Amino acid sequence: MDPMERLEKKYEPKKTPFFNARNILFFTSLSVILITLGIIQTLLFEAMSFFSQVADARGWFTFEVDATGLSSLGGVSFVLLLLALAGEYIIQFKRDQLERASKDLMLPRKSITTLVLLSPVFVCLGTGSFLLALSLMGLIFVWRRAGKAYLLLSGKSETTPDRSVLYFLGISSLAVLFFSITNNYGGAFGEFFFKTQWTPTGACADRRALCENMSFGVNSLLLTTLQVAFGALFIAVPLGVGCAIYLSEYASPRLVAVVKPTLELLAGVPSVVYGFFAFIYIGPLVVEVGEYAFAQGWIDAPPNVLNPINGAIVVGVMILPLVASMSEDALRAVPNELREGSLALGATKIETTFNVMIQASLSGIIASIILALSRAVGETMAVTLAVGTVAVYTSNMFLPAQTMTAYIAQRVGGDLPFGEIGYLTIFAVGLYLFVITLCLNLLGNKVLSAYREAY
Amino acid sequence: MKKDIDLLKKRNRARRDLMERAGSTGLALTGLIGMLFLTVLVWQIAKPTFIDGESGQIEPASEFIPESDYILKWDHPTVDENGDLIGEAVVLELSWNDGSPQTHEITITVTGERGLKEDIIVDSNGVSTNEVVVGKKTKFYLLSSLNVPVTVEQLSGPVPAADPTGKPAVGAFVISGEVDVLVADGSLVATPLEIVAWVALLGAILLISVPMPTMLGRLERLGGKERAVKYGSYLLAAATLALGAFTLDAWLGGLCWVMVGVITVRLLEGLTRLRKQGRDPTQFERLKHTITNREGLLMWARMLFAFSMLFIPLAIDIPFLTERYQDIFIPYASGIRSAFFGTVWVMTIAMLVSMPVSIGAAIYLEEYAKATRTTKLIQALVTNLAGVPSIVFGMFGLAIFVKQGGIGLGLGPSILAAGLTMGVMAMPIIVLASQEALRSVPRSLRESAYGVGCTQWQVTRDHVLPSAMPGIMTGSILAMSRIMGEAAPLVVVGAAALVLFDPEPLAGLTGGNLNFTVIPIQIYFWTSEPEHAWHSMAAAASITLILLLAAMNSVAIILREHFRRRLNP
Repeated sequence: MDPMERLEKKYEPKKTPFFNARNILFFTSLSVILITLGIIQTLLFEAMSFFSQVADARGWFTFEVDATGLSSLGGVSFVLLLLALAGEYIIQFKRDQLERASKDLMLPRKSITTLVLLSPVFVCLGTGSFLLALSLMGLIFVWRRAGKAYLLLSGKSETTPDRSVLYFLGISSLAVLFFSITNNYGGAFGEFFFKTQWTPTGACADRRALCENMSFGVNSLLLTTLQVAFGALFIAVPLGVGCAIYLSEYASPRLVAVVKPTLELLAGVPSVVYGFFAFIYIGPLVVEVGEYAFAQGWIDAPPNVLNPINGAIVVGVMILPLVASMSEDALRAVPNELREGSLALGATKIETTFNVMIQASLSGIIASIILALSRAVGETMAVTLAVGTVAVYTSNMFLPAQTMTAYIAQRVGGDLPFGEIGYLTIFAVGLYLFVITLCLNLLGNKVLSAYREAY
Repeated sequence: MKKDIDLLKKRNRARRDLMERAGSTGLALTGLIGMLFLTVLVWQIAKPTFIDGESGQIEPASEFIPESDYILKWDHPTVDENGDLIGEAVVLELSWNDGSPQTHEITITVTGERGLKEDIIVDSNGVSTNEVVVGKKTKFYLLSSLNVPVTVEQLSGPVPAADPTGKPAVGAFVISGEVDVLVADGSLVATPLEIVAWVALLGAILLISVPMPTMLGRLERLGGKERAVKYGSYLLAAATLALGAFTLDAWLGGLCWVMVGVITVRLLEGLTRLRKQGRDPTQFERLKHTITNREGLLMWARMLFAFSMLFIPLAIDIPFLTERYQDIFIPYASGIRSAFFGTVWVMTIAMLVSMPVSIGAAIYLEEYAKATRTTKLIQALVTNLAGVPSIVFGMFGLAIFVKQGGIGLGLGPSILAAGLTMGVMAMPIIVLASQEALRSVPRSLRESAYGVGCTQWQVTRDHVLPSAMPGIMTGSILAMSRIMGEAAPLVVVGAAALVLFDPEPLAGLTGGNLNFTVIPIQIYFWTSEPEHAWHSMAAAASITLILLLAAMNSVAIILREHFRRRLNP
């Protein structure tokens, strides 16, 4: 053989084997997809078999049509949303029509805008209807978008139409229309999502099979979950964001070196220990407050050691480090020029902090709050020990209640044979919980990445 | 006019100054609130462990006599349909002899009511009450503060159910004073040499991190005897090993001695070098740079010290931790032995499962993957999996690992299923941390390795991975410490409340006793008990858990700080 040929053969590139480093590593990363699929498959499969079992007896989704509902608050919300939809349509497709609008309507004084922005709160408090307040918020949102478009119009800058807002408003107005002319929801989905009584064991002869006395209105669990989660935010956000501002703007490096590990330790304490802490320490404190409230007549029943406020406080302490560290990262990522520019203009430090730094890092802070909310919704052991195990639908936060996670933990604590109705309910609740936290995480991560791109 | 403006300026300045001061004070308060919470938390947990929670008084450690502890138990009195008790009252005769012999007759009436309870307390003055009413399904205790056994004899009434362990159905349970759960009869099992080794290591660490000139001066007298110091430390290590009978803590003590020797030798070498240069060796800033690889030495020494701290439970005999199983009836006779070993096994399995897979995934995503749709999907899934509630992972484990049928592996509620579930839960956290570590490896390192002709795998294996390893290790340790405290997934997987034996890690595959428990589960079940005494046990278990986590976290923090300083000096 020609020596040249031999050499060529020797050094010709070898075929890479199938199990090379790259492919093996790729397979390991595929396990992430497998796990996610596994979680979704498990939850979806078992939850659907729950719904179909209920549907066999009670139908999938039943309701009664009642057209008089249109004249109630629901009808008003529908009209508000229709107005918003029309406004959005004008913004997107008939932009030149905006020029004819008066400047006072589109860009009013700041005080008036603030007043209007606060109006949904008053509406909500006055009428007690969340739906109306939400529709009003939609309308105000569109109004502000119109104001922005009006401003851009005078500057003659081009913007691309964003259809998603249009679709969202359209779908939500249809949904509001549907819910304002129907009532008395039943069937598997209607009961699960719209009823408020949660008695999955019921007073039945055979608790394993579905019976008439069982009721699956998950809203009583959802209400407590939201009470605990938002109560926790009520504690964690002011403290956490304040802590983050202090650490990034004011504290000396030596103090930071003490406070940060403390926060890390606080984050590292297991949730069941927090539950124990809530059970033996915070609960009795809350009861004292509740007894005072009961004596004053503010609440209608004497307080209990296990209650959502107790859970909210302890979960608030748990998510505080998360809010603090993520907000601090957001504040530290703000370029120093902004801070120095503000100081050079003669602003004091506190003015710089509140008017410049927080504005600049706002989306990072909001992302931290959303992710903390997701964590609070999914928190289990502390809530199980602090809030109690009675599924009730009540606004009195001094009484024992049950969150979604606590229901799962309590239900599986007993003996649960595979496939019976009690076993399946935990997957339905788990799927709902999973979807809520997934939406929150997606939203939070999206806000976070948008903000990371900004700097 | 000008005067007015001046006045306005002055007023404005005063207002702004006030705002400034109030704002910064308020922010400082919020900054310190975390510390406040931590203090309250630790105090509230420590209180029931070491101090009587009800009277608030510190009591001496107990004289606990496990051999003579029997319990009076009417768990299920026979009740008719009206809720009234069938049968007559129980009459017991208690007698003891502590110098002045005493005999007391006690009548016990059991009612159908739930939760009614009164303990009988026996002390040198007699018994607390002669007539006791107890409810249905209630345990009550005969507590004695005497140091002599109390004999109990049943004179009349229905005979209570016999104890399954074969103990007599009626007996006396002796506790005197309050019990310090964690340190009760905590005697030292470590040899003195091991303890001296730990103290010496602490001293050596202090000496190379913040040395005092006087100490350095004294140390200098050893100059020229480096070889003696070296062999001396080996000798001490050997002696420690021999004295400690080659147990784990003896090995650690020996390592400590070797480390002390190495540190001393390095210090002496540094001092001599400085002397030769004609400089003042007690000037620490100079000495710092003459010690060979001081940073690395310090890191290993600190890690060794933290690790030794982790094994203090083995050095001090704490029956709560290493000897006692959970007791069914008597809180203070309980311990967390099975939970402790359960935690160790679950963590081991979780680590073995999750670390290779998640580090591999991180390497693929950072080093190999191109920005395709699949890669983006995987990345998004990892980010979102890290935020999925832990209890959802538990349900995943329940359906996939525990249950049989469908896609279930059918391992049962065993350690193996729990470990796999925990491993899956730790995975996204480790992937994210490892990615962060890999990303922080400078680009120039990769470029230069490619420049000399390395393949991609060689670059990754020999250059990128070693530099990213500390970050990966830190992330993994933190992930492990996070899942160590998780109870929710294991409640779903099916950890048991009561395990009276050492767990078998492979029982899910090979058969055998599946039951297991971990420390957080134990805390959960003990907190759910109505009696205060169980809460003391929960507090003790909490403290143990927090200490274990703190030890793990401090190892991670030491690693992280060391490599951060090394990468950006």
